[in-house]
Amino acid sequence: MTEPLIVVDGVVKRYTAETVLDRVSLTVATGQVMVVIGPSGSGKSTLLRCLARLEPIQRGRILIGGAVAAAGTEDIGVEANGTAPQAKSHDVGMVFQSFNLFPHLTVIDNITLAPRRVLGMPREEAETLAVDLLRRVGLEDKRDVHPTRLSGGQQQRAAIARALAMRPRVMLFDEVTSALDPELVGEVLKTMRSLAEQGMTMLVVTHEMAFARDVADEVVFMDKGTIVERSSPARIFDQPSEARTRAFLERLLEREGGARRTR
Amino acid sequence: MNGSPFGVVLSYLPDFLNGVLLTFELGFVSVSLGLLLGLVLALARRSQYRLLRWPTYAYIEFFRTTPPLVQIVWLYYGLPLLFGFDLGGFGAAAVALGLNVAAFFAEIFRAGIAGVDRTQWQAARVLGLNLIDTLRFVILPQALRNVLPPIGTTAIYLIKDTALASAIGTPELLRVGQLVANETFRPVEALTVVAVAYFVLTYPIAFGFAALERRLSAMRA
Repeated sequence: MTEPLIVVDGVVKRYTAETVLDRVSLTVATGQVMVVIGPSGSGKSTLLRCLARLEPIQRGRILIGGAVAAAGTEDIGVEANGTAPQAKSHDVGMVFQSFNLFPHLTVIDNITLAPRRVLGMPREEAETLAVDLLRRVGLEDKRDVHPTRLSGGQQQRAAIARALAMRPRVMLFDEVTSALDPELVGEVLKTMRSLAEQGMTMLVVTHEMAFARDVADEVVFMDKGTIVERSSPARIFDQPSEARTRAFLERLLEREGGARRTR
Repeated sequence: MNGSPFGVVLSYLPDFLNGVLLTFELGFVSVSLGLLLGLVLALARRSQYRLLRWPTYAYIEFFRTTPPLVQIVWLYYGLPLLFGFDLGGFGAAAVALGLNVAAFFAEIFRAGIAGVDRTQWQAARVLGLNLIDTLRFVILPQALRNVLPPIGTTAIYLIKDTALASAIGTPELLRVGQLVANETFRPVEALTVVAVAYFVLTYPIAFGFAALERRLSAMRA
């Protein structure tokens, strides 16, 4: 088996006294789509934020493509970290629940800013890339519009294009459809689905179980800062082996009243 | 018209114009210095390093809480005495007012930067932008539109505070007004001319900032 693209190794994340991630270990292979589910407060979003290096970790390591992306601040004697290659911060692309586009910039400037400033890409090249990405997410006619003029679904697709412009090796999606009106969810999921089909490695935190079932190669169930179960979507949804997983899924189905079960 | 009270005062028009020019220069230099230093102070105030934060805090509170008139006098009389370094009247007034207004601008910038949603920092971070680029392209442009009104108001205050330079004999607008009043025995008329001149100097700032604000908010929509 080849080396996994992402290795999360014994990661501990604490906010003062509260432990949010408790020795979490996880590997993701290149091209794999992994969906992370779990109740709120289970640590799934924190896991993504640690991968994106928005949060320091106290213990453990995160490797991306064999390079160190994060190491525990309380670990001592990890002499390997000093000399090991450091992952580039833009190896990881992240899409947020609240889009977080830059409101003072047009859509195309949102996309070209980082390639130009971080990768040193000339303006024309960055714009060609941006137009191509906008076409892929179906927003080619919105290039010169400010984000506030876009619907939530359009903003989120623009945010996906912005993240892709850095050619990340992995894309993180943190509840990206949770802030959207129901009728706009589909267009964002469709964009993510086509991204998965193109072989992008993806870690997706979502409550969209139909998406998880269809698109995920594997589903991880998290609870109270630990990974409870990891398995294929068919298995985890139809025959979860852990009682906690089953209880969570049942609660979820109850709340949805069965109406969206088969979407 | 030369017989009327204003006519007498207005015969000093060339002197008034020189005063206007000097007031303008004083205001321009000190506002520019204040904006630049104020931005640096605001960033230092937000720094993760105490060694930067604490002296910045002390600086801001010191200059905010002592009278600008005293600050001008300190620089004008104090510097040559203590260090044998003479800035001259214009220099001492411009530097003192610049250092003073920087403390106010710093607090305004700090509030403006804090007003930008912290998710904007996170978005910039995951895209790999460094701190300077994040400030320059993401945070400051958004902070700027938040701070335009208070920056404009403070700049207008400062232009009027340049009148304090008259205390050390700098022949700016108010000083000219005082001299004319003494020579003509027409203090009310002389000072009214001074007031009109200040209005002419400061109103374009008020107008310009309001226009800029409208333009920026139109861009956003």
